[in-house]
Amino acid sequence: MERSSARLKLFAILVLVMFGALSTRLWFLQVLATQTYAEQAKDNGVRDIAIDALRGEIWTADQYGKPNGVPLVENVSSLEVRIDVQELEESGLAEQVLARLSEMLDVPVRKIRGSIESTQYFDYQPKPIAEFVPEKVAFAIRERQEEFPGVYVRNTSVRDYPMGRLGSHMAGWVGQVQPEQLDEAREGEYGPNDMAGQAGLESQYEKWLRGRKGLLRYVVNSDGERIRDLGGRAPTAGGDLVLTIDSKWQQAAEESLRESIFRTRQVLDEDRGTYYKADAGVVIVLDVETGGIKAMASWPDFDPSWYVNGLTKDQQCYLDLGYRDRCAGAHEVAPLLDRAYQEVYLPGSTFKPFTALAAVKEGFANYSSYYPCPAVYVHPNDTSGADFENWSDSDLAPVTVATSLIDSCDSNYYAWGSDFWFRYQNDQLGENNEPLQEDLRAWGFEEPTGIDLPGEASGFLPDAEWGNADEQKALFPRGWNPGGYILTMIGSGYMSVTPLQLATAYGAIANDGHLCRPHVVDRVMASDGETVLKKVGGGCDRTVPYTKQELDYIRNALTQVPVSGTAQLPFLGFPLSEVPVAGKTGTAFRGALYQDTSWFASMVPANDPKYVVVAMVEQAGFGSDVAAPLVRRMIETMYGIEPGGQVISQTGQD
Amino acid sequence: MDVVAGRSWTTERRPIRHLDPALLIVTAALIVIGLFAIYSATSQTLRQDNLDPLSRVNKQVVTAVLGIVLLLVMATFDYRFLKVYAGLIYGATVAGLLVLQIPGVAATETGTSNYIDIPGISLLQISPSEFAKIGLIVILAAMLSELRSPMPMAADLVRVIGVAVVTMLLVFINVEIGTTIVLAAIAVGVLVVAGTHAKHLISLAVGATVLIALAFQLNVVEDYQIERLLTVFDSGSVSADARYNLDQSVIAVGSGGMFGAGFLQGSQTNLDYVPEQHTDFIFTVIGEEFGFLGSAFVLALFALLIWRAIRIAYMSKDSFGTYLATGVASMFTIQIFVNIGMVIGIMPITGIPLPFLSYGGTAMLVNFAAIGVLLNVHMRRFK
Repeated sequence: MERSSARLKLFAILVLVMFGALSTRLWFLQVLATQTYAEQAKDNGVRDIAIDALRGEIWTADQYGKPNGVPLVENVSSLEVRIDVQELEESGLAEQVLARLSEMLDVPVRKIRGSIESTQYFDYQPKPIAEFVPEKVAFAIRERQEEFPGVYVRNTSVRDYPMGRLGSHMAGWVGQVQPEQLDEAREGEYGPNDMAGQAGLESQYEKWLRGRKGLLRYVVNSDGERIRDLGGRAPTAGGDLVLTIDSKWQQAAEESLRESIFRTRQVLDEDRGTYYKADAGVVIVLDVETGGIKAMASWPDFDPSWYVNGLTKDQQCYLDLGYRDRCAGAHEVAPLLDRAYQEVYLPGSTFKPFTALAAVKEGFANYSSYYPCPAVYVHPNDTSGADFENWSDSDLAPVTVATSLIDSCDSNYYAWGSDFWFRYQNDQLGENNEPLQEDLRAWGFEEPTGIDLPGEASGFLPDAEWGNADEQKALFPRGWNPGGYILTMIGSGYMSVTPLQLATAYGAIANDGHLCRPHVVDRVMASDGETVLKKVGGGCDRTVPYTKQELDYIRNALTQVPVSGTAQLPFLGFPLSEVPVAGKTGTAFRGALYQDTSWFASMVPANDPKYVVVAMVEQAGFGSDVAAPLVRRMIETMYGIEPGGQVISQTGQD
Repeated sequence: MDVVAGRSWTTERRPIRHLDPALLIVTAALIVIGLFAIYSATSQTLRQDNLDPLSRVNKQVVTAVLGIVLLLVMATFDYRFLKVYAGLIYGATVAGLLVLQIPGVAATETGTSNYIDIPGISLLQISPSEFAKIGLIVILAAMLSELRSPMPMAADLVRVIGVAVVTMLLVFINVEIGTTIVLAAIAVGVLVVAGTHAKHLISLAVGATVLIALAFQLNVVEDYQIERLLTVFDSGSVSADARYNLDQSVIAVGSGGMFGAGFLQGSQTNLDYVPEQHTDFIFTVIGEEFGFLGSAFVLALFALLIWRAIRIAYMSKDSFGTYLATGVASMFTIQIFVNIGMVIGIMPITGIPLPFLSYGGTAMLVNFAAIGVLLNVHMRRFK
């Protein structure tokens, strides 16, 4: 027994060691390292599910808040069929259910299988297999739910366009959120399959439109079953955009632009012996007091609803998305481009008010003198043989600044261009040796207008630095030359502007020199329809360096254009005494491969301008033939004037 | 008067007056804690399946009642009768284990066939290997208490170990590694206390190691068992499945912290993240819901239990009683250490239940029987 008791002590010590080991380990796990494990336990059981917020709508100014108002962009619900894979498989009826669904939805079983095997979703999330399911089918599934274990019909929301293509460029579209958007977004703002604005206002105002996701937090067990809710927060619907756009004016702009383009295509271009291509055009109506855009049409356009279900092959071909070799038949040229602000053009003679003012400002011209208007202008002492032609084949009577605008003489502008050249040549290293560019920039040219839409182009004003650069060696083998100035003076040559820049600059002539930032959104409204989340101000603080008298002088001159000048014919019969129109025609030579760009930029009513109306049609000939009648048609709509005149006229005048 | 023993006692030495109240209280406390833990581990799942959330607890209570009956039976007769019938008991044990090898007898509900369904008694399935623990304790105690020499000679050891190994092998071929380990521990415990020479113990250890290595080499051990065993040593090389058990149980215990999440509040427990939680992993409930304090309290109860067993071994009037109590102490110790060690990630996963806390039939009955044996030795400690 002695030995036994000694051995029992040994035994007891062994036991103590074992219990010591257990206690030590428990101390480590439960006291020292408990934080780590507590977090892991929490991660185990708690799941967060985001609840999508309803995307904000887009409304035109005149429709918003009206009892029967129609939004430009709204949400529409889609009946979506989703499958809870776990539940379906546990039922043991997967085969039969899928076969029946395939028949009802008219989708091959193989495709349904593909959808439910998709790894885009977590296993505990039901996976979508069909959208826009007919009411009848959805009802059948809900009615016999026990025969469709794990199959659910859910209401989801997608974009809808009750006004069809109206304002399609402005509205833009939504699509699956892009990687770079995910990168920029804060955590939890988007799920990998969320929709986000990809163009137009949908993109520009994405953060207002998308609202704030709700969150549902709940506890799942080890099988992924939902055990209990831990609350969360409700989603906040996105704000509604209320535009400055008037839906009727927008409609008139789009319709008259389209009509004008189709009619122009039936007109023979006598210089070439072919019909005018008239492949694109723009109409802009701008409120000169605020910079708010009342209408902005760009053609060719598209139907934003195509993007809701994904583009078909034909739609991709139409949209000219770079598959020309695979697309049979005709396509339009880049219909997605909003030519009003995303594309640049030579403005032609519509540019003259700005260059004329520059010539006066720099002392090359004054308002009382007369300047020759020969058919052909040659730069002094130029022996290269470069002839600068007026639009008219014959020498015209000398012109004042005003009549040069009314009858659109080019030759005096050429001469002022030469003056600008000499200013440069005589002071090449001077501080301000290129005042023309400086004066034009004051009108906002060569910089974005700051419109609240994405992808705006800046335009371009050529100068000595550009002309002397190596890249331009082909164009200017001996460096910058007088032609650069001479052509810029008549809105031709190497410069470019967007139609919107031109409209904004005319707006500054119209409102005594204030350059307003153009915008299409007036305000963002909370979904309650009462709270203004954001007011989009135009900001008209910037002014141009000309006196009211000078601007009035220009405007008065332009008021004569439809009366007795280049736009006389297209405005025949228009009640100019009631609604005086100040405007300027423009016909821009785009190069040998293209037909001329037709322009008309106007202010209305001319005595106290409220609006600037600008029209531009590519490859359409004279400004007075196509763009001026188009503007007339637009103004008729705006002022409720009985339509008169022709859709296009044939004046043969700039 | 203790008629069974065929002798009379003075009043103050009547066995009934010498129960070990501490042992009984500890056992009762463990059972009660176990019921709460089982409720916590099972009620949620049962409720989800529209079953009575108390059904597991109720079944455990019934088993405990049966266990108490068994305890009383084991405590009533003089333990020395066990020595008399030791050979018979051992024979019955081996026979029971052999029955499992007869096709068609063993119930196969759990995949491995280590239960015998007793017709008419659906509540209990009898697992012969569990009873083999008691059988081995009794036969070893009987053999070692009858030695001529004060310490076992090599020949004695060969006989004793032969007896133990036969039992272990029969259990082992039923793929019950856990029980095999317990049997080995019982043998080692009893041999140590019986005064086996150190050099013999060492050569025994070497021999066992060689045998185990051989077992692995000959693929006697199932792959999943090897994997589970490896989990604790090399967490990188095992499958996610095997890791999962360990990870989840360690997370459960660790997340309990000092004070625990509170009864029924443990997320790991409630949400069913710990597999086999009401049986082998019952300690995770204690760890998660009652924290370190709860775990330490349960450990202390177990320590108390072992201490009482060792004390009874020490106080026994004969070496048979000492070895019986030692065998029981070994049995409990190894089960507690391996089970809790497994739950907290310092021992491999072997499928050993935690005495009195784990849900389960036969093992529980055997534990009660073992307590009965301890009480028996304690009550009759006077010569």
